Amino acid sequence: MNEQDQAFRHPLYDMVEGVARFPGVDVAFTTADKVLTWSQRNSLWVFPMATSCCGIEFMAASSSRFDLDRIGTIPRATPRHCDVMIIAGTITVKMAPRVKKLWDQMPEPKWAIAMGSCAISGDFYRDIYSVVPGVDTFMPVDVYVPGCPPNPDGLLEGLRRLQDKIRRKRAGEWVEPDRRPPPGMRAPSIPRIGDPARSPRIDDAQLDSVMHLDPGGALRRSGAPPLPPVPPAEEEG
Amino acid sequence: MPPRHEPLPADVAAWACEFLGVDELPPEGPFVPRDRLVEFATALKNDHDFLFFVYCAATHYLAEGEPGSDGALPDRTVVAYRVRRLPDRRRGRPTQTFPFRVVVPTGESTPSLAGVWVGADWQEREQLDLVGTVFQGHPDPRRVMMPDDWPGHPLRRDYAIDTAHFPWR
Amino acid sequence: MRMPLDLLLPSWPDPHLDLGEYDPEADLVALNMGPQHPSTHGVLRVKLYLDGETVVKAVPYVGYLHRGVEKLCEKLTYVQITPIVDKNDYVSPMMNEWAVNAAFEALLGVEPPPRAQYMRTIFAEIQRIASHLISIGTWGLDMGGAIGGGATVFLYCLRERELILDLFEEVTGCRFHYNTHTVGGMRHDLPAGWDKRAKAVLDRISARTWEYERFLLDNPICRQRAEGIAVVDPTLAMELGVSGPILRASGVDYDMRRDAPYGAYGDIDIQVPVRTEGDALARALVRIAEMRESARIASTLLDGVPEGPIGALKPVKLHGAVKLKDGEEGYAAIESPRGELGTYVVAARERRGAASPYRLKIRSPSYHAISLLPWLCPGHTLSDVVVIIGSIDPIMGEVDR
Repeated sequence: MNEQDQAFRHPLYDMVEGVARFPGVDVAFTTADKVLTWSQRNSLWVFPMATSCCGIEFMAASSSRFDLDRIGTIPRATPRHCDVMIIAGTITVKMAPRVKKLWDQMPEPKWAIAMGSCAISGDFYRDIYSVVPGVDTFMPVDVYVPGCPPNPDGLLEGLRRLQDKIRRKRAGEWVEPDRRPPPGMRAPSIPRIGDPARSPRIDDAQLDSVMHLDPGGALRRSGAPPLPPVPPAEEEG
Repeated sequence: MPPRHEPLPADVAAWACEFLGVDELPPEGPFVPRDRLVEFATALKNDHDFLFFVYCAATHYLAEGEPGSDGALPDRTVVAYRVRRLPDRRRGRPTQTFPFRVVVPTGESTPSLAGVWVGADWQEREQLDLVGTVFQGHPDPRRVMMPDDWPGHPLRRDYAIDTAHFPWR
Repeated sequence: MRMPLDLLLPSWPDPHLDLGEYDPEADLVALNMGPQHPSTHGVLRVKLYLDGETVVKAVPYVGYLHRGVEKLCEKLTYVQITPIVDKNDYVSPMMNEWAVNAAFEALLGVEPPPRAQYMRTIFAEIQRIASHLISIGTWGLDMGGAIGGGATVFLYCLRERELILDLFEEVTGCRFHYNTHTVGGMRHDLPAGWDKRAKAVLDRISARTWEYERFLLDNPICRQRAEGIAVVDPTLAMELGVSGPILRASGVDYDMRRDAPYGAYGDIDIQVPVRTEGDALARALVRIAEMRESARIASTLLDGVPEGPIGALKPVKLHGAVKLKDGEEGYAAIESPRGELGTYVVAARERRGAASPYRLKIRSPSYHAISLLPWLCPGHTLSDVVVIIGSIDPIMGEVDR
């Protein structure tokens, strides 16, 4: 085999492989990975996207009696420091581009918890002109914590579930995606993320609307290019 | 049995009857003609001490299809105001409220009371946003609840509750 | 500290002021605070025009939590409305329930039995304490944070609030969003022995309020940041419709519980705390004094809860029976922790009566308090804006509805 047929091989790989051939090094690497996973899942800093009632329950969870600090979770007020976004409360059409913008500002790896029925599905506001029917119509959600509002115990359980999910993912196991709690409910007007019926034009339109957010109060800046066309209600396939 | 409506204060009711040229006021508050609204409100505030602005609420009525109405009424908005005077312990007067209403046919406007009570400013902005009533001479007629480029006024009767708004719902 | 700014402050500055000699492009910095900001108490957004560190103009933007409650209520029956309005002022849900049901009862001509009135009043007073605890606690957090001693107030206040939530959980089964008021009475009766436990909690909180007062008054950071800040002119506040602790901290002795009694307030003598300073610290001190007074009222009323039914209407019949007639309209208000919380209802124009309202407007005290911001902020520094927003204690669910 001549030299040109070979794919590029980084010298570091040789070194790593060489080192790994030493007895005991692979054990050390997997142990180090376990330690990293342990520290990652036990220091989940949360960004409370607290808009309404669930925000108060989140406050109760993070203070005296329930004390989120016990499981290494600290609320931080800026998205750039945080690993988890907890969407606590109703998200309206006026607020949704801001939430998506903050979500996009968070560094990877990141997770999202939809806390309360408003964030999960819009609850009894889901048919109202101004309310987004669930945050997973515009951003991915890892853990759903049902309730109106969920008790702080419920939120703690949700965080524990997320920690377990992180541990199993890092260990290479398959993790079943969280189910949206009430399974028989009517589908929202915008298909959720991960739904096969969701058209990529919806993603484009949402991203475009976030990029051209008008600081003056409108949903889109006046000089912005027009939105991608509205997808038809029912698509084939 | 509690009273259905807070009784109108007697002295103001007498004055309002004289002002409006009627014999009796309905307990929900008199209808004030739009052209005399500012005059009426100024007198309420300055002469009768109604300093506290409670609320302003607009209700949209469609033109037809209402069994209770005469059928001849146009598509209109009824704006209900309520003002309050605080108790005067020296004269032994309890706290009293005075409601009054204005009928605004759709397509016309009503004078803004923001020049009389500054609190009417934000209240009228909300009604302007949600019901679409036009307040003439309002100092700051921007939308307050909905985004600036939102189509329609949600609390109008002909606005569907589940109106879609691509790409967010 | 308050910065002197005499260039545009007459008796009160005009919030729609044109910026005078300022060129907004060249001289001023426009700074957006919110809608996601830890100390705007929700999703309030304030656009601040700054000259250096001093605020020249403040424009509040609300509506980020507009959930269309008033539109939704037009589709629901009168009985179904109660759990919906719970979510408006999510710090004091009992008050919302009472405010709408009081309006429906007045229009229906139904009077709740005395036991229900007493229970409502007791629940309302305990809820007022819980709401003020949140208000004081988060305000402390805004001012000091973990370094300035504010987190202590926050954690202590939340600890006490949990005791109150336990009391309500025992009665209704929920920590909040109780859905316990209904048209003509209450849904849940008091459990046996509840009054003794409630009194123990009230005594404990009443004693601890002195501690909170010391936390605020003995803390030099708190005093410097709150004293003399954002003095509210009483006439302006009244014209804006601002009520509650904000108005009482400005020297206006007005409280609906005493001046227009409803519920069981007619049976008891109420001392209304009033202060004349009108600044941010005075508003907090009025709230703390109100907590003590509420604890006293609730303890006194707990002694005399009459026996009897808790509802004037039969529960099974409620949905069909609660109907208002032909186009009637009315208004009823109660004193919520933030001021006058009222409901304006217009019944549908149907001859035989309709089971859902034609129009329902919630007169929320926070909406009026937010409209104070353009008057309060100019002349103060940027860091004071946080203190000002905390001291008027807006709840955005109630502002936007």
